[in-house]
Amino acid sequence: MTDTLVESSAESAFLDLHKKLLEQGRSALAELQVTALSRFEELGFPHSKHEMYTFVNTKGLVATSFSLPDGSASVSEDFVASHIYPDCKDQCLVFIDGVFDRGLSRCEGVNSNLMPLSEADEEVKAYLSETAENENDVFASLSTAFCDEGLVFKVEANTQISGTVQILFVSTGNTAGSVMHTPRIVWQLGKLSEIKVIEKFVGTEGGYFINSVQDWLLAEGAGVSYTQVQMDSIGSWHFSKVRVYLNRNARFHSSNASSGNQLARHHYEVRLKEEGSEIRLNGVSVLDDKEQVHNFVRIHHEAPQCISHQHFKNIVNGHARSSFDGTVIVCQGAQLTSADQLVNNLMLSNDCHANNKPNLMIFADDVKCTHGVTVGQIDEGQWFYLQTRGLSAKAAKELLTRSFAKSIIETIEFPEVVEELNDTLLKKLEARND
Amino acid sequence: MLEIKDLHASVEGNEILKGISLSIKKGEIHAVMGPNGSGKSTLAKILSGHPSYEVTGGEILFEGKNLLDLEAEERSLAGIFMGFQYPVEVPGVNNAEFLRMAFNARRVKADEEEMDPLDFDELLSEKMKMLKMENKYKERSLNDGFSGGEKKKNEILQMAILEPKLAILDETDSGLDIDALRIVAEGVNSLRNDNNALILITHYQRLLDYIKPDFVHVIHQGKIVKSGDKALALELESQGYDWVTT
Ligand SMILES: Nc1ncnc2c1ncn2[C@@H]1O[C@H](COP(=O)(O)OP(=O)(O)O)[C@@H](O)[C@H]1O
Ligand SMILES: [Mg+2]
Repeated sequence: MTDTLVESSAESAFLDLHKKLLEQGRSALAELQVTALSRFEELGFPHSKHEMYTFVNTKGLVATSFSLPDGSASVSEDFVASHIYPDCKDQCLVFIDGVFDRGLSRCEGVNSNLMPLSEADEEVKAYLSETAENENDVFASLSTAFCDEGLVFKVEANTQISGTVQILFVSTGNTAGSVMHTPRIVWQLGKLSEIKVIEKFVGTEGGYFINSVQDWLLAEGAGVSYTQVQMDSIGSWHFSKVRVYLNRNARFHSSNASSGNQLARHHYEVRLKEEGSEIRLNGVSVLDDKEQVHNFVRIHHEAPQCISHQHFKNIVNGHARSSFDGTVIVCQGAQLTSADQLVNNLMLSNDCHANNKPNLMIFADDVKCTHGVTVGQIDEGQWFYLQTRGLSAKAAKELLTRSFAKSIIETIEFPEVVEELNDTLLKKLEARND
Repeated sequence: MLEIKDLHASVEGNEILKGISLSIKKGEIHAVMGPNGSGKSTLAKILSGHPSYEVTGGEILFEGKNLLDLEAEERSLAGIFMGFQYPVEVPGVNNAEFLRMAFNARRVKADEEEMDPLDFDELLSEKMKMLKMENKYKERSLNDGFSGGEKKKNEILQMAILEPKLAILDETDSGLDIDALRIVAEGVNSLRNDNNALILITHYQRLLDYIKPDFVHVIHQGKIVKSGDKALALELESQGYDWVTT
């Protein structure tokens, strides 16, 4: 009973906040906002046993009182530059507090690919309102309800974007009152088009909630390489929903590396809509102290001969928490599906947690599906073996920890990112073990 | 070099070594033989510093210092090497990189400069050639998916790189075919000199045709029940272990 009371007041706080948003003037996406807001009211914040939030405690988040960003944030060019990968220095779109900042971006090469979401074509508009009406994740509804403007990145048929495009999300905190940032990007990929994208999430300080939604619409034969690096400030919340629609023979390869914060949750909703399409989702998180990362994956095999591959690895130390809740749904008629799902957790302390709920729902009879989960500590036998060759206990543990993460990190095709992850992500564990 | 005095040891409360004494000098080769379960590997693991084995009595001196005060890592750096009966698979750790780390840990300990990857690669290639190991084992993960024979060769490769003062080879011959046994034995022999010593733990005397021991000891139920020279091994082979154990 108490739960319901807390939650309904939490929802009304956001409804009140939304009224303030409307008072600020009409947004270009007003209709979409209204649709999303009513969906938000229908869904409500998750109660403690909500099936999509089994392992994620959102009470602290929804009880936080948020204010609207006042647009006064300023981020130095140096800060921005320090987070742009050298290979992307001429092709980086910068979002400050969830809003695309053309001034800080370097987008000459891709200008013609960009369009405000409010000016998207009819097909995208129809898609947006349909997904807003049917949204199943209350935080994605909330994001859309508060999103004033988004970005469409369109790649025309038969076009390959040269080099790599970086998206940098910088969030500024507000210690006086937390703010929610709601970036939205729709990626529209024409037939046989290709793009490589690296996204990086950073914050200047805590006290923000970045709640992003991205949609990837891949036409026949399109190919995407998508790498996300989540390195938000510790005192922040990070929710992301990535929706991927794949048509015939389209390919989407994604790697996510997360360092966590007080609550990070990645939601992937993937629809393999036509024959021959393929999704690969890899993820690695390295967590310490009270950091959290939760992965929630739903992959729908809606057509025959599609491939899905998932491999998530978590290194969990201190009082950190990770979870994986993933279901592969093989629809009727999706014959010759090939789906695999693997989660490995390396637990480095007694007080850390890793929850796992892998699941297969199969409604076709000729399929090849596997799933597995492991939860383990540093292997004592391996640890001893390395020490007998003269490695210190600490060096041996680090080597084993690194090698655990390596198989995922090495799937990332950008050496700059791999180097960064080796430097920052794994270093924090080494500092801890001193 | 090594002085084991009345060593008693137990694991999980069971006494396994019941008073072992052994004295090993520079340049010597000692073979330790005995039936399965007699405590040979336990002795090897205690010498290398395995944390699960508890020494309940006696002492071990290595070059005059109390070995039991040292961690596994320190024993290795002091020049002790144990070739595992069952080498551990370590997926994800590159074999060549690992060997270089181990090699350089020694150098750092001796206040020498670390060897750079290219020079080390040359050294490694040379040692691998001696053991007739294919180059692909450089790039594989440490022991991961190696055949039994390749794992044992990889142990000797590590020994060749680390050049220990005292090597304890625990059934390095088991699981090797005769060709591999010859290669491994030649490798071990080539590493011998007047300043190092070797403990060869084996179940079969076959190995001793290739690496000639100065002394042979027979362990049974945690005690050395007989010591002698090479002839003892031959006698064991013809009479069987019942000869010493009953
Ligand atoms: N880790 C262990 N836990 C329990 N018992 C052990 C362990 N290691 C060895 N033992 C026992 O100690 C005895 C000697 O084993 P071991 O030293 O491996 O013999 P050997 O190498 O001569 O075959 C055996 O009875 C074995 O079961
Ligand atoms: Mg043994």
